[in-house]
Amino acid sequence: MSPIFQLKGAAVEYDGRLALGPVDLSIEAGEAVTIVGPSGSGKTTLLRLLNGTLRPTRGEVLAMGRPMSERTASELRALRAHIGFVHQDHALVPILRAGQNVIAGCLGQRGFWSSARAILWPQRVDLERAHSLLERVGIGEKLFQRTDTLSGGQQQRVAIARALFQDPQALLADEPVASVDPARGRALLELMTDLAIERDLTLVASLHDLSLARALFPRLIGLRAGQVEIDDAPDNIAEATFQDLYSLEGLRGGEVG
Amino acid sequence: MVEPRPLPFGARTLTVLALMVLGAVAAWQLRLTPSGLVPQEGGWKLTREFLGAALPRPLDYEGSSSPHWDPFLLKVGKSLLRTLAFAIAAMSLALLVGLPLGFLASDSWWRPEAFGGGRLAPIARPLQVLIRTWIALMRSVHELLWAVLFLAAMGLNTMAAVVAIAIPYGGTLAKVFSEMLDEAPRTTTEAFRGIGASPFAAYLFGLFPRALPDLSAYAFYRFECAVRSSAVLGFFGYTTIGYHLELSFSDANFREVWTYLYALLCCVLLLEAWSTALRRRLVG
Repeated sequence: MSPIFQLKGAAVEYDGRLALGPVDLSIEAGEAVTIVGPSGSGKTTLLRLLNGTLRPTRGEVLAMGRPMSERTASELRALRAHIGFVHQDHALVPILRAGQNVIAGCLGQRGFWSSARAILWPQRVDLERAHSLLERVGIGEKLFQRTDTLSGGQQQRVAIARALFQDPQALLADEPVASVDPARGRALLELMTDLAIERDLTLVASLHDLSLARALFPRLIGLRAGQVEIDDAPDNIAEATFQDLYSLEGLRGGEVG
Repeated sequence: MVEPRPLPFGARTLTVLALMVLGAVAAWQLRLTPSGLVPQEGGWKLTREFLGAALPRPLDYEGSSSPHWDPFLLKVGKSLLRTLAFAIAAMSLALLVGLPLGFLASDSWWRPEAFGGGRLAPIARPLQVLIRTWIALMRSVHELLWAVLFLAAMGLNTMAAVVAIAIPYGGTLAKVFSEMLDEAPRTTTEAFRGIGASPFAAYLFGLFPRALPDLSAYAFYRFECAVRSSAVLGFFGYTTIGYHLELSFSDANFREVWTYLYALLCCVLLLEAWSTALRRRLVG
């Protein structure tokens, strides 16, 4: 198997302040990886490097074997069209119906008019596909319901279905369960890991909840002040290592934020 | 640690004080006194008559000087409809101009990851300033002044009246729309960019719908203003409700005047109810 994502000495600076790296990292196709670490440790930055929405200040990021820096703007967009991204706050269109939000996953793959038509006047093919995806994430009956009338957990399921509508090769998730209560959060994450296996997806999810990360993912990456401190299977990691990850001591220049 | 303030008055206090002083200076300059609100000699009688006519609603003509083509209520209804027709035409034109200009004037449109990047990057800011200046020019002349101008240039024609309203309204819509678009949550538009959507698609499907409840509420409010403006255009001879209102007023048929005013009030209240219902639907 070849790595789907690779970071080679990748570092990101914001206004001269080092936010991430330099990081060397390799994620194989089909792997399920979780990223944990205190807030401000660079989890979101790392995820944004993976789909090319952020360019590294130094070093190189490769997706599917090709460096991001070699891709043109339209090639980058074509790459992103096949990488799903689930955000903490759903990032849906509240005034559209759930099914329309799912179909909006086509925005990166079709032209403007064709995707506009697909979202505003859905055709039977798209609608049936959206319906079966909503069924898969457990809320098939919400197909025609206004998105802003759904609960937070249901909206996140719509967001997952939208990502699946892209028929993606990888699914990235930035704290996908941070705004859902713990029990529902666990169910959502289990859904995502199941989907990853079922569809042979690479899954990279940043998580705030350490116990969920340890329970559900075979590989755990621990970030601290922009550095990879842990990269192993959760079973191999000692309890003390986790405590070090979240302790405030030894952080460079008070980079807690 | 909280640093001690260097001055007893903060910048905010000073601003409020300065504004109060400005208000006082303006009042003094204009010699504003409460006595200006007391009617003059003959004015008392007029005021009494006018206010006295408010309650008994006339459902028929009062004086004999009005041309009695239609029953009075039919005439009121027709003139109200004509007022609405002016307002709807002007507002449609203003929206047609104001919405795209609002997009182009917003900061979100010109962000580097939207249209302010790439080849356009060096001229993005000047372009935006140009558009905002253009919008300010549209707004800076009141619709009644445009109406006077057009009346002088083109004579009494309805197209000129509609355009007179549409120009400043388009400018105002563009300015407020651009601010609302910049305040709308950016998560959805950024998410759409993140899955490869074009800048335009991400703006239109990600940002615009998040601002839509605010945009439509404001458009409704402006429509209400447009109804008032087109009523006032009647004073220039357009046959909106203001035309008949002025005729009745100059004939001292105050009960007719009140009927027209009540008709306008009903119209605005209906609009208000409609706008509230629509907003409730959009906000969910």
